[in-house]
Amino acid sequence: MRKTYRILPVYTGDVSGAASALYELGGMTVIHDPSGCNSTYNTHDEVRWFDQESLIYISGLNDIDAITGNDGKFIDDICFAADKMKPRFIALANSPLPYLNGTDFKGICRVLEEKTGLPCFYVNTNAMHDYTKGQSEAFLSFAVKMLKGTEEKIRCGINIVGMTPLDFTSTDIYITDGHETVSNWALGTSFDSVMNAAKAELNLAVSSSGIAACEYMKDKFGIPYIKGLPWNGTVKEYMDVQRSYSKNYIVGEPVISGSVAAYIKETYGLDFNVIATTEITDGLLLGCDKRCHGEEEIEAALKDAETIIADPMVRLISPDRAKFIELPHFAMSGRLYRKQIPNLLKPEEYLYGIK
Amino acid sequence: MQTSSDEKVLIGSASFPKPFANGLEFNAPAHGTWNIVHIGFRIPGAHQIYICADNCLRGVVMTAAEMGELGRFSSVVLEEDDMTHSGRIEETTIEGVTDCLNKLSKIPPVVIIFPVCVHKFMGCDIGYIYRQLESRFPDVKFVRGFMDPVMQKRGTTPDQRLRKAMSDIIPELPLNADTVTFAGSDMPASANDFKTILESNNMTVKDTADCRTLEEYYSTGVSSLFICQYPAGLMATQAISKRLDRKYIYAPLSFSYDTVKKELSESGLKIPEGFFENGIRACEEELGRLKKLAGDTPVAIDYTAVPRPLSLARFLLDNGINVKTVYLDALDPAEEEDFRYLAENYPELVLHSTIHVVNRRPVRCAGKVLAAGQKAAWFEGTGNFVNMVEGGGLYGFAGIAEFIRLMEEAFINEKDLRDIIPRKGLGCRSCI
Repeated sequence: MRKTYRILPVYTGDVSGAASALYELGGMTVIHDPSGCNSTYNTHDEVRWFDQESLIYISGLNDIDAITGNDGKFIDDICFAADKMKPRFIALANSPLPYLNGTDFKGICRVLEEKTGLPCFYVNTNAMHDYTKGQSEAFLSFAVKMLKGTEEKIRCGINIVGMTPLDFTSTDIYITDGHETVSNWALGTSFDSVMNAAKAELNLAVSSSGIAACEYMKDKFGIPYIKGLPWNGTVKEYMDVQRSYSKNYIVGEPVISGSVAAYIKETYGLDFNVIATTEITDGLLLGCDKRCHGEEEIEAALKDAETIIADPMVRLISPDRAKFIELPHFAMSGRLYRKQIPNLLKPEEYLYGIK
Repeated sequence: MQTSSDEKVLIGSASFPKPFANGLEFNAPAHGTWNIVHIGFRIPGAHQIYICADNCLRGVVMTAAEMGELGRFSSVVLEEDDMTHSGRIEETTIEGVTDCLNKLSKIPPVVIIFPVCVHKFMGCDIGYIYRQLESRFPDVKFVRGFMDPVMQKRGTTPDQRLRKAMSDIIPELPLNADTVTFAGSDMPASANDFKTILESNNMTVKDTADCRTLEEYYSTGVSSLFICQYPAGLMATQAISKRLDRKYIYAPLSFSYDTVKKELSESGLKIPEGFFENGIRACEEELGRLKKLAGDTPVAIDYTAVPRPLSLARFLLDNGINVKTVYLDALDPAEEEDFRYLAENYPELVLHSTIHVVNRRPVRCAGKVLAAGQKAAWFEGTGNFVNMVEGGGLYGFAGIAEFIRLMEEAFINEKDLRDIIPRKGLGCRSCI
């Protein structure tokens, strides 16, 4: 059955993804949820608590407020917190119960803007999607609400879009082809930095979470974008590297996996097919790649595998005979393999066993 | 007095039992307390199945993963279509659980099912789900858990109901007058006067928090007496004693000598001669050592360390220990007398919320602070802390003396705060 998981964990959810995306941007993120989401997020899906604070809260929704749709309390509590904490903006994230009772988040945002004078936006989550969806919605909503157009351009300026600790451990992006980083969305960054984004000449979506914001900036500010991780200091579209069908698979988020597969093809001449296991895949896969949803589909897709590059937990559903190269992914195995997560941008450190 | 909208309030000005106003909540990254996954795994051989949305599932599945227990854990993901099609949520739950069980190499004898808030709000027919599952798996005992944090603040919590559901499967066995069981807690009884007295009375002592096999867990059904020492386990203990027609005692760790004497005296157990005097002497000796060591060092306590933090604060303050702050968000009605006493005699004692919106960063006082509990340690930014949750299985004079000894040890030896407190479920295996 597609919806059951025997042994694999689910990926980090959309609510945590939204919180992760906005963590460093100086705003206040409020998850309208009883109590589960904040504990899950700050225990399993967030690594920055000890070193960097952020205004991530839950509403502490109870059954009566959920049944009666007591938005007044939600609004008052947010106003109180905003007055105390003076955030740059307010972001609201949804969860299953407010989703079920049809809470009017956009309306609440309008009320909050009137009451607090702060920009306020809704991140369309409901806890039923994975982190890429939540991050994507958060980056897009932030861009739509906060970014302003500008005539000023930074020559060869580039925004890195779609980077959070759920996929990346490092912001060390070595770009030596003349591009200069304007902003990072949103790891090792700041509100002021991302507010410069419209000055860039190019956007680089380093994960599927960054695509929607890049599309928006393309339409709104005329900033083109390409997708992929920069290898050997060069910004390059990973979809341009053609790959053929093979029984070598790389399992995970499509832009990162596709980029690694492109690197392998160009460096070692080997074909690896992407098994995309996160939600956003439109336009991100080649014909030889595949999208899988859930444990059963991933297990079936790996049945004939000769080599697998994936999070160590995927080994639990992989055929024994397949060669397995571990590439721990925080959004899947969380803290279990955190110490072993390599810098994705240094493939020589984790692909040494590929030959 | 009104509840405070600030993050802290002096106890002399605090309202009871709700010192702080409700509002948005922060979650401090200290996770030694047990959640429903840890609690459920206390039934040996039990398998847990959660039926919920992705984001909710992530927390519980990673809890199991970090315990190294994914083999005893399965999940069914709810999606939008389960909420928009009439009857779909029941179907997904029944077929999902069936699929999970059929995928296991062996059908487990006990399966704990966790529906969630959404099942309740959809008006899901839970009874129908269990009837179907019980007819498909007649040899399985289904424990009726719930993961509905929306009920956390009103009525019984998911934690309390799970403990009750777990005790509901303990069978009624022929009474053995010489067997007593500690029930409802997660921490096995350790330095515990009840345990000492029971053993000196040649009684057989069992503990639901320390069963190695399912048979051992079931065998607690012979007990003539159940002893509960953790508030969240009281409902379960009351329920099993009523169902089996047995007695129970409720006695959480208290730091009042009089309360200990009263509870032990009223237990009906034969107290060895000189037990109280010797116990108090041992406590006083430890206190003397602690005072000598800690001097005027500020002390902070939190509600996760012991079930009665105000009792601890009162005891320490009355004995010259410099307790400055108690971290808690609500007050247990059972602590009203201690609250009134402290408000009158130590009105400057600070009550500090752990979830208030301004609490996102540790207080990190200058100078050494001795803490009791992980949250107090995190907020104070100190590695000198007693690493304990739920009272640690302590009780009575032995428990008090042990707790003071742990404070002495914590004062001398700094712990690795950053390594310890992100680990979930203190006492459980942690693979991180």
